[in-house]
Amino acid sequence: MDPLTTAVVVLLTGALLTAFLSRHRLMAGYVALASVILASISLLRLSLWIFSHGPFETVVPLLRLPVSGLRVHLIVDQLSAVFLFIIVLVAVSTTWFSLRAMELCKARSLIRFYPALLLFFATTLGVVAFQNMLVFLLFWELMTLTSYLLIAFETEKPQAARAGLLYFVAATVATSLMVIATTILYAHNPSHTFEFSQLRDTLGTLTTTKPVLANIVLALFLVGFGTKAGILPFGFWIPVAYPAAPTVTSAAMAGIVTKLGVYGTVRVFLDLLPPSELSLVWGSIIALLGTASIVVGTLTALQQTEAKRLLSFHVIGQIGYMWLGVGIGVAMYHLHPAIAVLGLMGGLFHVVNNASYKSLLFLNAGAVEYRTGTTELDRVGGLMHIMPVTTVSAIIASLSIAGVPPLSGFTSKWLIFERSIMAGLYVPVFIFLGLVAVFISAVTLASFMKFLATLFLGDLHVGEQVAHREVPVSMTIPQTLLAIVCVVFGVAPVPVLWYLYRGAAEILPGMVPSFNSLVGTSPFRVNLTLLGSNSAIGATGAWDPLLVTAVFVGAMLFAYGISRLGGARTRKVPIWLCGEEHSYQEIMYSSHSFLQPFNRYFCRLYPELPVPKMRMPGLLLKLLNPDTWITYPAERLAERLARAQTQAGGRALVVYLLWAVALVVIVGLVLLFAHT
Amino acid sequence: MAGYESGLKVTQMTLALNLVIALLLGPLMAGVVRKFVRARLHSRQGPPVLQPFYDICKLLGKEDLRSSSSPIVDFAPIVVMAATITAALLTPMGMRSPLAGHGDLIVFVNLVTIAVVGTVMVGLSSASPYSLIGAAREIMMHIMVEPVLVICLIVAAVKAQSLLFWHMAEGATAGGMSISMVIATIAMLMAMQAQIGKQPFDIAEAETEVMGGAFVELSGPRLALFQWASFARQIVYASMLAAIFIPWGIDLAPPWNLGAHLLKLLGVYVLVGIVDVVHPRIRVEQAIKFFVIIIVLSLIGLGLAIGGY
Repeated sequence: MDPLTTAVVVLLTGALLTAFLSRHRLMAGYVALASVILASISLLRLSLWIFSHGPFETVVPLLRLPVSGLRVHLIVDQLSAVFLFIIVLVAVSTTWFSLRAMELCKARSLIRFYPALLLFFATTLGVVAFQNMLVFLLFWELMTLTSYLLIAFETEKPQAARAGLLYFVAATVATSLMVIATTILYAHNPSHTFEFSQLRDTLGTLTTTKPVLANIVLALFLVGFGTKAGILPFGFWIPVAYPAAPTVTSAAMAGIVTKLGVYGTVRVFLDLLPPSELSLVWGSIIALLGTASIVVGTLTALQQTEAKRLLSFHVIGQIGYMWLGVGIGVAMYHLHPAIAVLGLMGGLFHVVNNASYKSLLFLNAGAVEYRTGTTELDRVGGLMHIMPVTTVSAIIASLSIAGVPPLSGFTSKWLIFERSIMAGLYVPVFIFLGLVAVFISAVTLASFMKFLATLFLGDLHVGEQVAHREVPVSMTIPQTLLAIVCVVFGVAPVPVLWYLYRGAAEILPGMVPSFNSLVGTSPFRVNLTLLGSNSAIGATGAWDPLLVTAVFVGAMLFAYGISRLGGARTRKVPIWLCGEEHSYQEIMYSSHSFLQPFNRYFCRLYPELPVPKMRMPGLLLKLLNPDTWITYPAERLAERLARAQTQAGGRALVVYLLWAVALVVIVGLVLLFAHT
Repeated sequence: MAGYESGLKVTQMTLALNLVIALLLGPLMAGVVRKFVRARLHSRQGPPVLQPFYDICKLLGKEDLRSSSSPIVDFAPIVVMAATITAALLTPMGMRSPLAGHGDLIVFVNLVTIAVVGTVMVGLSSASPYSLIGAAREIMMHIMVEPVLVICLIVAAVKAQSLLFWHMAEGATAGGMSISMVIATIAMLMAMQAQIGKQPFDIAEAETEVMGGAFVELSGPRLALFQWASFARQIVYASMLAAIFIPWGIDLAPPWNLGAHLLKLLGVYVLVGIVDVVHPRIRVEQAIKFFVIIIVLSLIGLGLAIGGY
């Protein structure tokens, strides 16, 4: 059995087991974590194999679809391997975190959480692993379904139900647009298959023979992927859905779902669409939408006073950077491959980095919620005094997302900025997009300073009944893991860029400039070059994370030494208010007034969209609420069986474990049977 | 290419040079301008030339009074100083900067932003309303002034087709004057006053109004670090203007290119000093109106630069 199928089988088994074990909340969590880790080991081995041997190709035994005698080839190329890595990273850390975090939802049975979570991870694997549009869409829609279950986990909360419905409708409409696009391509495909390799030729022919139809197909795909990615006009569901979902769900989805939207965009616009004048137009549109998202998402985030909502708007803003990078890649490839490849690498690097720090930020918010019961920025503060690990990881994540060197977010943003300025030499609009992105980067920093300052720094103020303790180890480990990724990818970007380059070079046609000609030969330093225009100059941009960080740290030590030179003593004094007396409350600066002068100038950029009140047919509602027709009956059945077993003399736990073994055996037999 | 490669080495000479210029020449120049421009125009004697150093030394020994327990107050002065020093090591000061091949325009802009955000955070971490007003004004000024700096530098980058400062400086000297560079130079000069916090744009600190703004609650060594970093920041911006937008002297033989740079710096400082003395402070919304015009001007320059003018 190939590693990917192994991973999926492990996840499915885990889903079944957790469904039966859902009564034992902690145990269900451990089983889920074990299956995710087992699957991850298999996937990481696969990723490494792909990076050393090239694309991995096999026929899946379980997926001999009865559609027109189709044998679905499983092809994981290097681009997919990058996304496999993201899924592994996010899946392991969020599942680990969920062990104790799900205590917050004590009232709800976990039968709706862990099975859905594991199925969700399994479907995301399916999305990236197939080079076949039909299977891709199938898994895409399954991913929508499973993530819907995760969002609407706390259905008794009206906002969760509404958010779930909104997300489901938005995602389904988007998928149906993609189905239409696929159907058009299928109809014009002489060999009538859904393989990417065939669709590539079909789209190539369409662009010359029927350009209008080709543009319609591309527009449909753009809207479809843009909705999942959360790009500006289509990402309206994000600020509604993420705050309403359990924090673990928000972390998993912010880390994976939006990134797969970028994956789809790269697949269609760089892999399927041949580089031409058309890709210049569509690349510019992608970059423009991306920049619009950066501006509106980030400026709106500045006004938020609830942590998860603030982070949700930053999801929109950050996706903008990725689309800007991908847009440069799409638009510039036939004009200037060196700029395009680096732009695309910047976009993909931002995808990887964003998956780590955005998940981490949601986990930080989850840790705050776990300890204090709220994520309102004004209700708690000074958590660094009781939660040091969470605080340090939140600082790393915040500085990383704000693009502070040498953390990971800086390097990817830096690549995107550089390339948009250089692309501006050929297509002037990019230089202005890059400028906007540079300034909004400072706004991101201001916004996360507010997040840090109000939640973590300053004097401790929490509710009465809050325990003054760090969150449990099972929550600090995943945060530490992601924080380490943020630091390592920032300090040593070249090896990561090498993998991303392999992924990008593989899907691009023609002669792709060599890696060394793009980023220089040093293993530590990135030297960007602009091939062909001014080769006498050599490098046109440089970033040496190790040396600059060393200099910065040296300068900090120097400054610290200077400040200690005079041997000044420290004394605590009250605030000087020109002799008048005020209480702290009178002059307190809350998160509302934090950036007020700025908000005055840029207020209401993101209008609260009037979401139409939707009524759905009863049957569909019932279908969408699997509580009533599958989970609860299944749980009742399991319970009854277990009780019967217990009464027969065995003890429940032993029976469960026996069941686990039996299931593994059954699944193994099925696989063996299907394989032969 | 060979020259570029050799330039990648961090030569101890330029390292020492940039540090000396940023950390020692910065306060000295401020003292010189204070004594010979500002005091002369006021028709008074003026403080000694070395007064900035005396101030810093005195502050280092003074008691450190804290009104806030936030760790930001501990870290921010050090981070601001470090960011300013690192930015100074990226700035061409007569010769190729020591970090020339290790960082570029975007890195520089990020370091400058870190320094500004550090100042703002100090202001915001105190509960004093003066310091909060100062911090809010600092943000507003940064948002209005920073674009001018970045756009002008990008104009030079477009002309040189490179984002490395050394190429930009060389390209500006070799390429001679062009319409876009002239516009960028004018915009840079207009923004200079605000970048280094001099009248009429010392809105954020405004001693007579908000008592030093973000620094009102600082004392002792932390205030000394902020003041020193501020002197260094002035000379970094002035050097950027002198090296890239006054295209003369970069290509002279080694000791003379440094001399030319110092001469240009003196010119910039005297000009800034005179404007500082003869102008009253303006209000923040007047400043915003002014800088909107400058931003539009520099964007026109950028458009012309892309067009090849």
